[in-house]
Amino acid sequence: MSEPFVHISNLEVRYRHQTVLKGLEWKINYGDNWLICGDSGSGKTSLGKAIAGLAPFSGKIEIGFNPLSPLPPLVYYIANWYQFKDLEGQSNFYYQQRYNTWSVEVTATIQAELERFGAEHGLSFSDVEDILKKLGYSELKDSTLIQLSSGEHKKLQLIKAIWLAPQLLVLDQPYNGLDKNSRQNLNILLDQLAAEGTQLVLIGNDAELPACITRYAEIVGGRLREVSEYERLQDYTTVIAEELPEFLNAHPVHDHPGDIISMRNVNISYGEKQVLKDINWQVKAGEKWLLQGHNGSGKSTLLSLICGDHPQAYANDYSLFGQKRGTGESIWEIKAKIGLISPELHWYFDRSATVWQTVASGFYDSSGLFCDPGSLKHQKTGELLAYLGLTAYGNTLMNELPLGKQRLALLGRTIIKNPELLILDEPCQGLDIQQTRHFNELVDRLCGNNGTTLIYVGHFESQLPDCIEKKIILENGKVKAVEEIKKTEHYVTRSE
Amino acid sequence: MSNYFNTLPLREQLNQLGVCEFMDNAEFLDGVNVLKGKKLVIVGCGAQGLNQGLNLRDSGLNVSYALRKEAIEGKRDSWKNATENSFTVGTYEELIPDADVVINLTPDKQHTSVVNAVMPLMKQGSTLLYSHGFNIVEEGMQIRKDITVIMVAPKCPGSEVRAEYVRGFGVPTLIAVHPENDPEGKGLAQAKAYCVGTGGHRAGVLRSSFVAEVKSDLMGEQTILCGLLQTGSILSFDKMVEKGIDPAYASKLVQYGVEVVTEALKHGGVSGMMDRLSNPAKIKAYEVSEELKNIMRPLFQKHQDDIMSGEFSRVMMEDWANGDKNLLTWRAATGETAFEKTPAGNMKIAEQEYFDNALLLVAFVRAGVELAFETMVEAGIKPESAYYESLHETPLIANTIARKKLFEMNRVISDTAEYGCYLFDHACKPLLADFMTRVETDLIGKNFNEGKDNGVDNVTLITVNEALRSHQVEIVGARLRKAMTAMKSIKTA
Repeated sequence: MSEPFVHISNLEVRYRHQTVLKGLEWKINYGDNWLICGDSGSGKTSLGKAIAGLAPFSGKIEIGFNPLSPLPPLVYYIANWYQFKDLEGQSNFYYQQRYNTWSVEVTATIQAELERFGAEHGLSFSDVEDILKKLGYSELKDSTLIQLSSGEHKKLQLIKAIWLAPQLLVLDQPYNGLDKNSRQNLNILLDQLAAEGTQLVLIGNDAELPACITRYAEIVGGRLREVSEYERLQDYTTVIAEELPEFLNAHPVHDHPGDIISMRNVNISYGEKQVLKDINWQVKAGEKWLLQGHNGSGKSTLLSLICGDHPQAYANDYSLFGQKRGTGESIWEIKAKIGLISPELHWYFDRSATVWQTVASGFYDSSGLFCDPGSLKHQKTGELLAYLGLTAYGNTLMNELPLGKQRLALLGRTIIKNPELLILDEPCQGLDIQQTRHFNELVDRLCGNNGTTLIYVGHFESQLPDCIEKKIILENGKVKAVEEIKKTEHYVTRSE
Repeated sequence: MSNYFNTLPLREQLNQLGVCEFMDNAEFLDGVNVLKGKKLVIVGCGAQGLNQGLNLRDSGLNVSYALRKEAIEGKRDSWKNATENSFTVGTYEELIPDADVVINLTPDKQHTSVVNAVMPLMKQGSTLLYSHGFNIVEEGMQIRKDITVIMVAPKCPGSEVRAEYVRGFGVPTLIAVHPENDPEGKGLAQAKAYCVGTGGHRAGVLRSSFVAEVKSDLMGEQTILCGLLQTGSILSFDKMVEKGIDPAYASKLVQYGVEVVTEALKHGGVSGMMDRLSNPAKIKAYEVSEELKNIMRPLFQKHQDDIMSGEFSRVMMEDWANGDKNLLTWRAATGETAFEKTPAGNMKIAEQEYFDNALLLVAFVRAGVELAFETMVEAGIKPESAYYESLHETPLIANTIARKKLFEMNRVISDTAEYGCYLFDHACKPLLADFMTRVETDLIGKNFNEGKDNGVDNVTLITVNEALRSHQVEIVGARLRKAMTAMKSIKTA
């Protein structure tokens, strides 16, 4: 066969009112598996969607499916973002909803969702069991979609795609939100899939890839440029020169006696299922913590207790900022002291807000801005946008931006009020290498010269800020270990 | 018990109907302080009960749930909702005697028995809170004179009350104090604090009265909100099928069309909705809706008259006494309509197509909103109250139709609303029979603009625009919408 598997010529893709890709040429030969990297906003996702026929384009994309192959002749695209719907087709959830208990479930179970997908594509259910096992998913079959953590949602998408085994599989940032184990197992599954004939296009800037990926390209200026493996791993060495906006250098207000967090035998369960067991945890003012654990180990539930988002908080014994929970404080008083970012927050955030409104909404802990913040807050918002390099996007709607930029705006929202406690749950998910570095440096600066307390959740050990000094590890809802991280051991801890 | 409204002299009837004041933000600066440390006991734990309780607790208030013994022993859904979200649950006898505020969030039909059961247990000087005035106004329930009686009525389904609160906002809310039961003069302060506890103060609060709330709420739900949406949906669907349009397409166009069309209404009022049409289509929709208004006006007036006189409540309560015979019969019949039984197709319908191909729906909505508003105002209800109960709530109800058609709408709304909806629907269909014979697919099912050159007469267009924009519902609405900023957009399917 002299024709390539995929032949793209003179491709042009527009996203909203901007031309993202222009004059792009690319040939994927039979048997080749590619990685596509590039900065946030460079057009990686647009390219992936165009190939899968999910985005309008001009130019030519020819795909020579093999009629003799047993694999389905189709392109399957796994989005970086996953929007799920409840049984009534509604998608406007709010992220705290997953912690509520209802007499009637409103979203489908995993089992039902998989059966639906299998029926739609004529797949045999026995084939999926092995994939579920390898990704540690078998026990989740009876959970409902809304109960899943972000990592578990990501895995569900991957499970479906691997089960389907299409002739061409496009994976957009597949490692987002996956813990280390799952990333390794995913690579094994992807290698198997490739060996059985599925060709892969993987989008992302990740370091650890499946062995079958042997060709690399980046998107620069709307075109594709093949790069060597060595070039791909070259570090971006941008140093941030700008000074932190002045208002973020101040000490956060700390106006209460006692620890930031003090938990005594905290338990959370839904019916029979216990998700947190006898948690004891003290966080003193100014401490910098790393919170780790496998997908589904209870991390986000633990954080929801701290952020005032969990209804079972009222049946547990713990104090936040020196006050016992459920003794007359409102959740808005708690939230006023916390800057939070998490994948769930991003999922359910009001994406019809502009970038400016999003950042300013951090003053009020609301999803979207509901009032005029006044001139002082106007000024701070402007300074922070400039620091984050988002000034040009101030009036752009969130849903018109690539995910990386959305995330950066939400990070601005997290820190704008210079909060006493920063909770950064996988803050860099979706950011490119440069932005991640930029952000971690910002966290170090914020935490370095004042009394900010930090709780950081991160799966990628190579992407942590330097200031972290303690770590708590959860396993199956229990505290597995609490450890000090000495500065000398820091490197070791990071590469585990 | 006799109808409270009918016992009042005309002077006092007009006085109470006329309580209507859009409250300034500054009225809520004291937050929840008036209720802080007080014991709030909610009776009933359905959607409103649970979600209001979650909000109040998250605002720092002490909330527990009193349920009937059978509900607790049988571990019914209300018991599960409350206990699994870590609330204290007890029987009336256990919780009511200590309560400072008892909040009645049970269905209308149960109000009399619930209030009769809790009143003897309530302590001297405590407060009874309703979120609908039916029991006090229509049934004439007499409350012990030492007890303060207030109302806080979020104008949204319970799930929205919660969702808007946790995103840092709230839902528009009506508050009221019953003039017969405010012995200590603390009613308004408590109602305001409760409203802050549910987040309502961030989204616009209308001070109303029990009488004004009931008489406008009943009118709105029977006519534009549920009655007309039901009649309009079924007639539109049937017409399309009769004219050979693919039933799956017709089903989808109506099911989601009412939501998309009223979404425009939510943001820009009637003129905002009409402006989504091309100029020729707008003029046509105006003419059609004028005709619809003329046909339906007597029916709207009859509903308002029966609500004012108490005739509606009397008839409905007869049906209660008769085991809900009418209600259940109608409910079953609605489940059997072709619209209900035809699933929406998988075809993609672009947002604009919902306007262009469903001009009749737009005309129905305009006619219904304006008629309901006009009829209420003519009957002595203030324009602000009338706006809330007509235009404001229409998109919220349309949203339930988009979820699961009329079945879902009638499930979500109260039995009282459902009863009124059927009364309207049964009377309205025959009224419109002749009109419907003249409707072709250019009004519903196909693009009205197809094959037309988009030209219009200047003067006609100016006259139509002027008529739409100068209507009182638009003038009041523009002011109220400004106060209710940041309304969430509904996604198109």
